[in-house]
Amino acid sequence: MKMLLAATALLATTGLAQADKLDDIIASGTLRCAVVLDFPPMGFRDESNNPQGFDVDYCNDLAAALGVTAEIVETPFPERIPALMSGRVDVGVASTSDTLERAKTVGFSVPYFAFEMAVTANEKSGVTSFDTMKGKVVGAVAGTYEAIALEEQVKAWGEGEFRPYQTQADVFLALSQGQLDATVSTSTVAQANVKSGNYAGVQVVGKAPFDTDYVALFTNREEYGLINFLNLFVNQQVRTGRYEELYGKWVGGEVPNLTVPNAYR
Amino acid sequence: MFSYTFQWKQAFAKLPLMLDGALVTIELALLSMAIGIVLAVVLTGFRLSRIRPLVAIVTTWVEIARNTPALFQIYIAHFGVASFGLHLSPYVSLLIGITFNNAGYLAENFRGALKAIPDTQTRAARSLGMNPIQAFVHVVLPQMLRIAFLPMTNQMVWAILMTSLGVTVGMNFDLYGVTQDLNALTFRTFELFALAAVIFYVMTKIVQIGARLIAARLFRY
Repeated sequence: MKMLLAATALLATTGLAQADKLDDIIASGTLRCAVVLDFPPMGFRDESNNPQGFDVDYCNDLAAALGVTAEIVETPFPERIPALMSGRVDVGVASTSDTLERAKTVGFSVPYFAFEMAVTANEKSGVTSFDTMKGKVVGAVAGTYEAIALEEQVKAWGEGEFRPYQTQADVFLALSQGQLDATVSTSTVAQANVKSGNYAGVQVVGKAPFDTDYVALFTNREEYGLINFLNLFVNQQVRTGRYEELYGKWVGGEVPNLTVPNAYR
Repeated sequence: MFSYTFQWKQAFAKLPLMLDGALVTIELALLSMAIGIVLAVVLTGFRLSRIRPLVAIVTTWVEIARNTPALFQIYIAHFGVASFGLHLSPYVSLLIGITFNNAGYLAENFRGALKAIPDTQTRAARSLGMNPIQAFVHVVLPQMLRIAFLPMTNQMVWAILMTSLGVTVGMNFDLYGVTQDLNALTFRTFELFALAAVIFYVMTKIVQIGARLIAARLFRY
């Protein structure tokens, strides 16, 4: 009898130890998504303070596919990794660029969204295109793809100044105050902020010649089961037309292609 | 729950960049202390003068500096003044914010120190023919700085730590700013911030030990 008890206990514990994150999520009945809520139209809060946006809907869809309820955990850009590693969230649905450097630390799904970069300038700055930003004070949100690319560009130009701010709101505040002459952001964010009317004297002046910014869902690097599920989920979103539907709802215009021509993934 | 493989080599490769940032942090802290001490002495002088408007300035300054978050003070020095058309760089905004905070706290330290110096000292100085300003500068001030020396070290430590708030106003070349930039690039959050914490600890420890040695040398009776 004693032996049997010990054996069951052993089985039970090894059984638990083998449950991966996908199992944990299904068992807990809740999917906790890290979403940046300072990044309209991907993530923001509406007048009654509820999370809204493309990423929020995407998380809800993912939870529905898993048969669990979604919990949106507001996570500023720099806190995405601590949130994941400390187990506060299961998945990042946070417009995260899938760079190789980052893939050494976290596990990315296939891209679920793609951004074009746009230049937004203060009307008094004299910036009329990407190239006229040379020598000016420019900025972007710390930790984003465009901030990294823009800082490199300012170094390459050898003149002007780059300033990273903590939030998209601070960037546009600084821009409309004239502290920044111009910023590079995703065109979706640029359009949404200029249209909002909260920031006087700023306008989108053109495209930035950076590579298309593919963003992916992310989770712990070793959670292959979950990553596999995420990949299929992204595929299904496109296949079922839900991706196009959400794009039309939050962004509008031509739907970006999520695949890279002539390459496997 | 915590599943993460530490890659210290990757973080150590960034150490030179972080140490460059640490120099900027030290420079900011020293500048803000130097200016802060001068301002605090002036504020203390204002307080002693008993002239109403001057005392009002001191009270307002000290109340705001001590009773609002340093983050708020730095934010105002950047975004607040910019809404009046005054554009300050992140470095200058941060310096002003920390200096404002330092001056407020130090003025309070100096007030405490003054209480420990008997009035009779001023009276004795006056009776030797010094005018009020001479009495303050030659007799009271040196004693006040001596009593307030160790609290001043505390403020120096605080100033070093406050530089980390600069990231909110776009500062990216002090220790904390550099660390955040590297974090965004590599996502090696835990290694980089652990390293930054150690550098902060070493810097503040040096300040504390240095101050104790200086105090032991200067203030022997």
